[in-house]
Amino acid sequence: MLTALWNNLDYAAPMMLFLIGLYAVIAKDNLIKKFMGLNIMETAVFAFIMALGVVDGGSAPIIDHGAHAPFTNPIPQALILTGIVVALSTTALALSLIIRIYEQCGTIEGNELRELG
Amino acid sequence: MKKLLVTALLIVAGIPLLLMVAELPPYGSAENATYTHVSAHYLEHAVEDAGAENIVTDIILNYRGFDTNGEVTVIFTALAAVLAVLLLDRTPAAAGEESAPAPADEESTQPVSIVVSFIVRLLAPFIALFALYVILNGHATPGGGFQGGTILGALAIALTVVLGHKEAQRLLPEGLKPWLQAAAPLTFIVIGLAGLVSVGSYLEFPAVNGHVASAVATFFSNIGFPAAEGLSWVRAMWLLLLEFGIGIGGAAVIASIFWTMEAE
Repeated sequence: MLTALWNNLDYAAPMMLFLIGLYAVIAKDNLIKKFMGLNIMETAVFAFIMALGVVDGGSAPIIDHGAHAPFTNPIPQALILTGIVVALSTTALALSLIIRIYEQCGTIEGNELRELG
Repeated sequence: MKKLLVTALLIVAGIPLLLMVAELPPYGSAENATYTHVSAHYLEHAVEDAGAENIVTDIILNYRGFDTNGEVTVIFTALAAVLAVLLLDRTPAAAGEESAPAPADEESTQPVSIVVSFIVRLLAPFIALFALYVILNGHATPGGGFQGGTILGALAIALTVVLGHKEAQRLLPEGLKPWLQAAAPLTFIVIGLAGLVSVGSYLEFPAVNGHVASAVATFFSNIGFPAAEGLSWVRAMWLLLLEFGIGIGGAAVIASIFWTMEAE
């Protein structure tokens, strides 16, 4: 079990990163810190999916004259490119919402917001 | 107390994740299930199917063109939402604060270190050139519209920091601004509809398949150019046009989001 985990350390590390992000989302009161946690979780998922696409000794999936098999799996890369763009969009929207919350309420601490409500 | 509870929750959530990870096929193995099915097919056929040496570009712009069409719409929608949240429906008090622009103006001309200012001004044309290179070489080298667009957007942000809000916003002329911001979805829709009209299916590149293709092939053989090579050249041009639209649109969206937030 532990040796299997050690061999798959490249998968296990994103999982730990995911949990760190989850901790920030749950435990932090500051909305910006919460959102940083969400971004850490996103990054962990990206890293995990990218790790799934790695092939030992694989070269970049660009069929050029000098290129030779094996190639790295191109699908996770295309998928994550999409994911990063969506992550950027959600981050931009969330930050602007946080700006509006600060304007309206004068605070972005979750516990203080709850008292206001 | 709360921290202890959260930590306990994370341990409970983490154990199944790690158990699952230990059961996965070894890292880097070519027998990985993600590698042996669709990927194998793409690696073998992508260049002839889609026309670009970079298979990631093939997947993004051809096999999953619909998905990318949706994705560029997502970034444009994000910009629209950011603008709506920050600019529309302001309470009179907040609007009143903003109509007194004198302090804001001073803020934007805050002196930046002269070294930073000089270096950014010096490097700006080279960064722009590099961004254009990344955008236009996306079919043959690592890169493409999204990556190059991000570089271009980052350049706009750096210039805003150095030159101030007003100077930098001249990068997007007022009349062109909405068109540039919507460049990516517009390019997709225009090319998609052109394919729908000329070939009969959305996002099928015109003049590569269908009846226009044979006319193009005849044209190329008439001017003494190998027809097959000519057709692949036409297809590369469509890919390039899409990449260019994505790059310009992405850069405009990133820069506009930054400017809107910075103005707050």
